[in-house]
Amino acid sequence: MTKLFTIVKRQGIIGLWLLLILGFSLASESFFTAQNLVNILIQASTLTIIAVGMTFVLLSAGIDLSFGSIMFLAGVAAGMLTTRGVGLGVAVPTILIIGLLFGLLNGLLIVRLRLIPFIVTLATFYMGRGLGLLLSDTRAINLPEAILQIGSSRILGVPVPVWIMILVVLIGHLILSRTVFGRYIYAVGHSKEKAAKAGLPVNRILIGTYAMGGLCAGVGGLVAIAQLGAVSPSFGLQSEFLAIAAAVLGGTSLFGGKGGIFPGTVVGAFTMQTIQNGLVIVNADPYLHQLVTGAVIFLIVWVDSRQNAKKKSLSLN
Amino acid sequence: MKQRLQSISGITYVCVVYYVLAALVTPGFFSINNTWNLLYNFFPLLILAGGQTYVMLTAGIDLSITSIIAVCSVVGGFVMSADTTPFASEGSMIFFGIIAMLLTGVAIGLFNGLSVASFQMPAFMVTLTTMMIFSGFAVWLTQSQNIYNLPEAFVDFPYRSVLGLPTPVLIGIVLVLLGYLLLRRTIWGEWIYAVGANRAAATVSGVNVGKTLLLVYAMSGLSGGIAAIFYTARLETGSPVMGQNILLDVIGAVVIGGTSLFGGRGKISWTITGALFMTILDNSLNLLGLSFFLIMIIKGIIILGTAVFNRLQERRWTSA
Amino acid sequence: MLELKGIRKRFGAVEVLKGIDLTVGSGEIVGLVGENGAGKSTLMNMLGGIYPPSEGQMSFAGRPFAPQDPADAFVKGIAFIHQELNLFPNLSIEENLLLNDLPTHHGIGKQVVSRQQLRQHAQVLLKRIGLDLPTSMLVGALTNAQQQLVEIAKAFRGAPQLIIFDEPTTSLSRHESEILFRLMSELRDQGIGMIFISHHLQEVLSITDKVVVLRDGELISQNATSSLTKETIVEDMVGRSMDKLFPKKRGEVSDQMLLDIRGLRGEGIGPLDFSIAKGEVLGFYGLVGAGRTETARAVFGLDPSYHNAIRWLGEDISHFSPAAWIKKGAVFLTEDRRVDGLMLGRPILPNVQLASLPRFAKRVLSRLSHEAIRGQVKVEVEKTRVKHLDLDTSPVAQLSGGNQQKVVLARWLMTHPKLLILDEPTKGIDIGAKEEIYDLINQIVEKGSSVWLISSEIEELLGMSDRIVVMNGGHITAEFDRRDFDEKAILDAALDRLNAEAP
Repeated sequence: MTKLFTIVKRQGIIGLWLLLILGFSLASESFFTAQNLVNILIQASTLTIIAVGMTFVLLSAGIDLSFGSIMFLAGVAAGMLTTRGVGLGVAVPTILIIGLLFGLLNGLLIVRLRLIPFIVTLATFYMGRGLGLLLSDTRAINLPEAILQIGSSRILGVPVPVWIMILVVLIGHLILSRTVFGRYIYAVGHSKEKAAKAGLPVNRILIGTYAMGGLCAGVGGLVAIAQLGAVSPSFGLQSEFLAIAAAVLGGTSLFGGKGGIFPGTVVGAFTMQTIQNGLVIVNADPYLHQLVTGAVIFLIVWVDSRQNAKKKSLSLN
Repeated sequence: MKQRLQSISGITYVCVVYYVLAALVTPGFFSINNTWNLLYNFFPLLILAGGQTYVMLTAGIDLSITSIIAVCSVVGGFVMSADTTPFASEGSMIFFGIIAMLLTGVAIGLFNGLSVASFQMPAFMVTLTTMMIFSGFAVWLTQSQNIYNLPEAFVDFPYRSVLGLPTPVLIGIVLVLLGYLLLRRTIWGEWIYAVGANRAAATVSGVNVGKTLLLVYAMSGLSGGIAAIFYTARLETGSPVMGQNILLDVIGAVVIGGTSLFGGRGKISWTITGALFMTILDNSLNLLGLSFFLIMIIKGIIILGTAVFNRLQERRWTSA
Repeated sequence: MLELKGIRKRFGAVEVLKGIDLTVGSGEIVGLVGENGAGKSTLMNMLGGIYPPSEGQMSFAGRPFAPQDPADAFVKGIAFIHQELNLFPNLSIEENLLLNDLPTHHGIGKQVVSRQQLRQHAQVLLKRIGLDLPTSMLVGALTNAQQQLVEIAKAFRGAPQLIIFDEPTTSLSRHESEILFRLMSELRDQGIGMIFISHHLQEVLSITDKVVVLRDGELISQNATSSLTKETIVEDMVGRSMDKLFPKKRGEVSDQMLLDIRGLRGEGIGPLDFSIAKGEVLGFYGLVGAGRTETARAVFGLDPSYHNAIRWLGEDISHFSPAAWIKKGAVFLTEDRRVDGLMLGRPILPNVQLASLPRFAKRVLSRLSHEAIRGQVKVEVEKTRVKHLDLDTSPVAQLSGGNQQKVVLARWLMTHPKLLILDEPTKGIDIGAKEEIYDLINQIVEKGSSVWLISSEIEELLGMSDRIVVMNGGHITAEFDRRDFDEKAILDAALDRLNAEAP
C-alpha cells in the first residue's frame, strides 16, 4: 500500500490513474478486459480530442468557453448536410472548416477588440448555441447511417474514433514540442509583454491557438455524433468544462505557459473517462456518476495543489 | 462634477438609453404588469450576481452557483413538500424549509471557501468540480424527479406585498443594501479588495486572507440559497436542474457591470446595472416575440459590445 | 567609435536632454550615472532606436547613426541589455537565445525547429560569454547571474560593437556581479565598447574607464575613472557634497530589549540568536541568498519556522502571524514592493490604510469611518512626502519607484510601529528619494522606535546602523558595534566560506 502512494507521489496524475484502474479491476472482473479497455479508448476519444484543443488555448494563457457551442454547430451542420444527401467527402471537411472558422473568429475578436478571452468566448458561446438552435429549429436531428459508420468501423482492428484521437494527439504534440508556432505558444503563455518585446507575432500566435482549439472542437463534435447517432439541442453543453478539467488534471496550468498534450492532457482525459466507465462496470447508481466523477477530480486537484504547496516551500532559497 | 460622473459606470447610461428605446419600440414593455415582471426576474439574478461580485473581487470565481441553487431547491422541497415533510404545521414547514435552504447554501459555500483558502486550490477548478459534485448530488437525491406539493403560503409569497412593495422586491432591496454596506463600510470589504488586488501584499499587511475568502464563498453560497427560495416558490417545485442555465447570466451580469475578472476592481452598484441590463434585455427581446435562439445570439453580441464599451471607458478615465 | 554631438530631446514642451556631447571608444567602458529623471534612459533609448533625438548628431563607427527601431540599432551593432530580463523561464536556454530566429528544417518541415542547428548556434553563443551549461536546460532553473549572462549572450547573435548595460547588477549578489565584471573586461579586450548604467558607485568605479554624470538633462562631467572618488561623483550627481546623504545620527540606544530571538530555525536558516534594543537600528548584512530575507520572513510568520524563544518587550510570544505582529507594533517592508508590497492597480488611499484598518473598527464586520481614515492617510502621505496627484483615483502603478516605496512606508508608519523591518528599502530608487527615506528612518528612531535594516549596500548600513549583524549561509557569522565598524571585516564575514560552516 505504501508503495502505491509513492507511485502516486512520484508520478502524479499518471499514478492516480493507474490506481483507479487497479481499484476498478479489483472491484469487477469485467473491467480489466481487452474489450473494456478498447471501450474506454473509444469513449475517451471525444474528450481527448477537445482537451487537446483546450490545451493549446490554456497554454497561451487563454480560455475558450465556446467549445460546446462549436461542437453543437459542427453536429448540426453535419446533420443538415448528410440528411440532405451530401456525401461525407464534402460534409466532413465542411464541419472541420466550421470549427476552424469559429476558432478564428474567437481569436480575431480577442485580438482585435482587445478583450479578455473569458468574455469573448462567453459571448460566442451564446451566439454559437443560438445559431445552432436556429438552424436545427430546436429539434433533435437523427443522423444517417453514413456518419454512424465513422463511429463503428475499424481500420486494422482499431476503431476509427481511436485512430482520429491518436492522429489529433500526435499532431498536436508535435506542433507544441517541435514547431516554431508551438514553442511560441509557450513564450506567449508565459508573458505576452515579454513575447511582444522579443519581437514575436503575439496576435497571430493567439489567433492560431484559438483556431487550433476550434478545429479540435469541430473534430471532437464529429467523433461524438458519429457515436451518438443524433444531435440533440443540448449536445455539447458543458463540454468546455470537461475539456478544461482534463487538461488541468494533466498538469496544464490555467495561467498559461505550463503543461502539454502528451502525456499530460491525454492522461487527464483518460482518467476522467476511466472513472465514468468504471462506474458503469461496477453497476453504480447511474445518478451517482456525475457526483463521483466530480469528487474524484476534486481529490486529484487537491492532491496536486498539496504537492505544489510543498514544492514551493522547498524552493524558498 | 467629474468625480460624480466617474462614480457612475458608463454602462448605466447605456442601460437607461436601452430602457427608453425598449419602452418606445416594444409593445407592452412600459406597462405596470411588465414592470412587476421585470422586477420579479431582476432580484434573484441581482442577488446571485451580488454574491458573485464578492467572489470576483477576490480574483476568484464561483461556477458552482447553479448547483447550489439546485441542491437548495431540492433540500427545501424535501423539508416543505407534503409528501416528505417531517413537520406538521405549514408554518414550521416553511420556516424550517427556508432555514434549510439558506444553511445548505452557506455550507456548500464554506466548502468552496475552505478549499480555495486553506488548500490553496485554484477557484476555477474547485468550483468547477463542486458544480459537478453538487449538481450530481441534487439529481441523485431526487433520482431526477421534481418535488411537488409545496405549501400554499410558500408558493404565494412572491405575490404578497409588505408596505406596498412585493416581498421579493423588498427582500431584494434590503439584501442589496446590506451587500453594499458590507463591502463599502467594513474592514472585510476593504480586505476583499486587497486580497483580489495583491494577495501576498495583503498577507504581509495583516489581512486575514483565509477568513476573507471563506466568508466570500459563504456569501456566494448564501446568495444561491436565497435565489433558490425565490425560484422554488415561483416554479412551485423543488427541482434538481433548477438554475442550470443561469450561470453565464450571473457571470455576464457582473462582468457587463464592469467588475474585473482579475480581482480588486468592481462595485455592487456596477453589478446592479449589469443585472438590470441583462434583465431588461431578456424581457424586451421576449416581448418583441423573438425566438429564444435569436435572443441568445443577440445576448452574445451585447456582451461583446458592452465589454468593448467598458474597456474604452476605462481608458478614458485612466488617461484623463 | 560612438560620437554624440549636441543631442537634445523634447517631449512636448519639456526638454529632457539639453545638448549632450559624448564619446565611447572601442574597448572602452563608460559609466553613466545620474539620479532617476536625469535623462539616462532617454539618452540610451535614442541609441537603442526606441526614438530619435529632437536635435543633434549621432555617429557610430564613422557613419551617421539613425536607427529606425530597436532591431535596426541591433543590426547596426548596438545591443541594449535592459534591466528587466526578457527571458522565458519555461523555455530552454537555446530557445531563449534564438527565439525570434529559430532555425528550422527545409522544405516540408519549414515550420519544424531543427534541434541540432539550434544547439550548435546556442553553444557558439554561450561560448562567447564563457557560460558552460547544457543548452537544453530550462532558463527557470538558472541562477540570477546565469540568466543575466544568457541575456547578454543574446546580444552576440549579431556582431555588437557597443553594448549598453542598464543596471545589470540590481538583482545580482556581489559574487554574481564579479562574474559579470569578468565578462565585461574580456569583452573590453575584444575591442567592444560598453556603456554601464548603475546606481552602485563602487561598481562603477571598479569596472569603468570613464564616468559620465548627467543631472537634469545636462552633462555635468566626463572624467577618467582613475581621477574620481565616490564623493566627487555624488557631488556631481546631486550638486552638493555627500555628508548630507546620511544625516546626523541621533542620541543613545536604550538598554531595554524590544525583540529577543533565540534558536530560530527555518528553511535553510538557523539556529539564530539575535536581539534588537529599543531605539536601535540593527543592520543585517550578507550576500543575496545568505538568509537575511528568509530570517525576516520567518520571524514575521510568513514562512514556517521553529524557535526556542521569541520575546517582545520581555513577554514570551508563541503564536505569531503578520496580523498579530502588526497589532503588537512590528511591521515588515518587503524586498520587492511590486510582488508583496503594493496593490499596484489601486490608488494611494487603500494602499496606505490597509494595515491600520483594525484600529478603526472593533470587528471585521463593524462600521468603518472613512473620514477618520482618510485624514490619517493624508497626514502620513504628507509626512513621507509622496509626490502624488490624488489619493483615490490614480493607481500607484503610475508613481515613480521612489514614490511607490514611500507609499509602502506610509502604510507602515500609519500603524505607529515600535519595530520597522526594512528589507532593501532603497533598492532601485534614486539618491534624492534615498535621502528622504534615511531621513524618515532617523525620525522614527528619534521617537524611540527600532529599525531592523536589511541591506546589500554596505555604505548604507555603515551610515545608518548602531550595530551590524552579518549573515552567511543561513547563519550569523559576525556582529559589529558601531565603534568597531570595519568595512573589510564585515565583507570578510559575509564572503568567507569557512565561516559559513560555523554554527
